[in-house]
Amino acid sequence: MTTEKEIRGGAKKSRGAKFSLDAWAVTLALVVSLLVWIGWIKQVPW
Amino acid sequence: MASSIALESHHQQQPLPLVKRALGLVPGLLLLAAVGYAGKFIERTIAVYGKSHHLTLPNIEYVLWAILIGLAIANTVGVPEIFRAGLATYEFWLKAGIVLLGARFLLGDVVKLGGVSLVLVAIEIAVSLTFMTYLGRAFGLKPKLTTLLAVGSSICGVSAIIATQGAIDADEEDSSFAIAAILTLGAISLFIFPLVGHWLHLSDLSYGLWAGLGIDNTAEVTAAGALYSDAAAKVAVLAKTTRNAMIGFVVLGYAIYWARKEGTERVGSKAAFLWEKFPKFVLGFLLISALATAAVFSKPQLTSLANLSRWAFLLTFAGVGLRTNVREMWKQGARPFLVGAAGEIVIAFLTLGLVYGAFLFLH
Repeated sequence: MTTEKEIRGGAKKSRGAKFSLDAWAVTLALVVSLLVWIGWIKQVPW
Repeated sequence: MASSIALESHHQQQPLPLVKRALGLVPGLLLLAAVGYAGKFIERTIAVYGKSHHLTLPNIEYVLWAILIGLAIANTVGVPEIFRAGLATYEFWLKAGIVLLGARFLLGDVVKLGGVSLVLVAIEIAVSLTFMTYLGRAFGLKPKLTTLLAVGSSICGVSAIIATQGAIDADEEDSSFAIAAILTLGAISLFIFPLVGHWLHLSDLSYGLWAGLGIDNTAEVTAAGALYSDAAAKVAVLAKTTRNAMIGFVVLGYAIYWARKEGTERVGSKAAFLWEKFPKFVLGFLLISALATAAVFSKPQLTSLANLSRWAFLLTFAGVGLRTNVREMWKQGARPFLVGAAGEIVIAFLTLGLVYGAFLFLH
């Protein structure tokens, strides 16, 4: 099943990588939060 | 000089692996964005049409549209190879979205609701693991496949199965069966839970807790919550995050069990093992929640962070539909699916009973 292969591939890659998927996601969210806090991102519409 | 120019041109012809990989994500990311935004566009268009023509049309949320469009594409024309890498990022957006969702929670609420969730999660995990193990034996499934199904349906779906597969050295085939069963059941739960919730007139809080405890995959939990209401989605994600935080303990328990049973020594430092398996996005969620509680962000900034979280979830919902290939799932065989389905039904009733019980106890 393609999805499983992708998930497995991702899991295997992340095992070897220095930064896990979780860590990248947290980093991105924190950087974005910082940009909002310092005013670089002013207003995000929905 | 000539050789350095030749070297430079050689470098220019071969892009860096990182750049190449990043470019490979673009088509899939664009597809996620297009499907997600199409869902939002359809929801808005129907609302505007109803208003301008004085019609009362059913309000079908963008979440459902995005999932349905994704399902239609994946199960008719299929998803070409070029999109696959980008589509696989839906889990990344889910986790980033959960971290940013922390901006919508005061830390006190997290502790209060997380505390209630923790007690319910502990009961749910204990009963689910026991029941699924019994069911696997009754259906004559292989012991390690039973373990994978039990972990997948009691904690957090695919991530838990992959973590456990490595820890107990299970066959790839077993985890393929377990993942297929859990993904299929997650896709079905995604549509059934909101219907049952509305039928039982559950409050946002009760429904959110139920979805967070009863549905396996975090993406499906988030979507099932959002299909009910925005408030229910918040509670569902928090309950599921509490469940996710338990993954390390359960996987460690099974790793020790199988290592002893097979006479092998697989688990080294338990603390290191727990840290490795612990979902780090839970810490990010708590950090953003703590910053929001400490009034670090102004009100408009909190709204921006909440909206960024919604955009991240939009990509996730598109990914949920696009990755679900019904035919491929059915090919994986009936028995693991039947065990999983029987388990899911019992877990759904159990968690509903737990939620009712918790509210009776608290009021």
